[in-house]
Amino acid sequence: MAMEPRKIEPFVWEIPLGAVPGMRVPGIVYADDELMRKAIDDRAIEQVANVATLPGIVRASYAMPDIHWGYGFPIGGVAATSVEDGVISPGGVGFDIACGVRLLRTELEWEAEVRPRIHELVEALGRHIPRGVGTKGRMRLSRGEVEKVLLEGVRYPLSRGVGTERDAEFCEDRGVLEDARPEEVSDKAIARGAPQLGSLGAGNHFLEVQVVEEVFDARAAAAMQLFEGQVCVMLHTGSRGMGHQVCTDHLKVMDRVMPKLGIEVPDRQLACVPLRHEAAERYLGAMRAAANFARANRHVLTDGVREAFAAAFGKGPRELGVEVVYDVAHNLAKIETFAVDGRRRELCVHRKGATRAFGPGHPELPSAYREIGQPVIIPGSMGTASYVLVGTVESAERSFSSTCHGAGRAMSRTKAKKLKSGPQVRQELEAMGITLAAAHWGLLAEEAPYAYKDVSKVVDVCEGAGLSRKVARLRPVGVVKG
Amino acid sequence: MRSGFEILEHTADVGIRAWGATLAEALEQAARGLIELLGAGLEGPGRTRRVVVEAEDAGALAVGFLNELLFLHETEEAGFAAVRVVRADDRRAEAEVELVPLPGEPEGTAVKAATYHRLAVERRPDGIVEVRVYLDV
Repeated sequence: MAMEPRKIEPFVWEIPLGAVPGMRVPGIVYADDELMRKAIDDRAIEQVANVATLPGIVRASYAMPDIHWGYGFPIGGVAATSVEDGVISPGGVGFDIACGVRLLRTELEWEAEVRPRIHELVEALGRHIPRGVGTKGRMRLSRGEVEKVLLEGVRYPLSRGVGTERDAEFCEDRGVLEDARPEEVSDKAIARGAPQLGSLGAGNHFLEVQVVEEVFDARAAAAMQLFEGQVCVMLHTGSRGMGHQVCTDHLKVMDRVMPKLGIEVPDRQLACVPLRHEAAERYLGAMRAAANFARANRHVLTDGVREAFAAAFGKGPRELGVEVVYDVAHNLAKIETFAVDGRRRELCVHRKGATRAFGPGHPELPSAYREIGQPVIIPGSMGTASYVLVGTVESAERSFSSTCHGAGRAMSRTKAKKLKSGPQVRQELEAMGITLAAAHWGLLAEEAPYAYKDVSKVVDVCEGAGLSRKVARLRPVGVVKG
Repeated sequence: MRSGFEILEHTADVGIRAWGATLAEALEQAARGLIELLGAGLEGPGRTRRVVVEAEDAGALAVGFLNELLFLHETEEAGFAAVRVVRADDRRAEAEVELVPLPGEPEGTAVKAATYHRLAVERRPDGIVEVRVYLDV
């Protein structure tokens, strides 16, 4: 890369035009000195500059503080392209379409109520939450039923009596993305997805039992009905094989179509086509369908969490108060309206490992959160803290209303496995007072806490840069791994 | 070595560098790399499946071939006793895959997909064909 990023404000770095050939806008990275040094070392900064070459990109190619090297787009990348003359790039969404996080709260208090029964609870969660490679989900679907999920998102399991209307209300887009096109989802994607609805998957996906350890913003926490000492459950998973196959299929099309349109990109994984092109519309329709599958997946898993709590505590879910705080995706492209240079413009906002973070007053928020801003759920690495944040009004100007999505990897999986074995990591987590259930222990080291950046630092930079504000910190007491 | 593979380091993801005397051999080695990563190598005999992949060029062919193996691994819940690439030119590959039902959760890395990131297929000066593919894990 020709030029190093330069610091233009505390926590804000600019990658100037010309850092790589063909940049149309500068790059903007939100980071402190240490996070920036890591990003330069693993070449993620070059990827931010590469994204800045996409046709029709508006304002800047952004990166959140949890930035790390991805495939094509950096993880933590945000790119908004003009609907009129910009492109869409499936690589800017990724393979796990609408992968995201859902936070559930309970009426239970950790010390007195849950601590004595934590082993029973984690064991029950292990039984009620299908996980691992392939896996059969909680709901087995016929082809016709899969198509309903693709079109209706959480409405389909709701129509079958799974979950509540309230669950849907507290999901991004109320659990359904409009304009999904199941007919653009291949037979192969349906074959992969049909058995998997209501399953956690593997890799970095997990379910954690957590305790609210500290509240930073009492008003926002009250709106979310969070209090210190309260037991919560965090779910991190996505669209499973369905999304992976949709991305694979449509990337193949774009890889073929793009050269014919005379578009050149620095990395083939950035393959893109103009938003007005037929291939873009077909991808967007399929991507929305896969996003609906992801929401429905977390919705159906919520039902499993409720059953597990009922089994462990011998009480009904209503009494236990297992309710959705919010559900938000961190791999998605959405058409959103922003003011750019004094003009309201329709943009396609790609968030690849970044979370939407609307500020207070945004009309898309459920009324309970309209005054505080959109809740943002940030999972830490396994065994470390997680955070609840809220979006800010100024993030619209700063990052097209986006913030971080997690800790961000700091070390390759191979390196992580060389440092410690799975059983060693298990022992250490248990010594920290964390109860574990895993599909198997061999892979535990790949996701060990030391393989990730410090989530607290990432979240502090987000606050310092004005992208989001801290509401509460949660610490894990039980982990169910894919 | 005239043929083989190695796993490439990447902060978030993993790559495979595979090589052989022909494209068919290099693809076969790439498949071996993927199977090792997945921890999905099993003893045969298994059911033989024919896999045919078509693409615009050798790079896209390699990506398509590995994605086809991932599809079979996931939908059939199967591991692999053997992968033989019968023939391959830059636009079409034909392989025979021996599938064995997974006895339990494989002790490997879950792979979402093969990507086009830094994708390369080249014939080296010594005549060896080399394939490089990164995976999303």
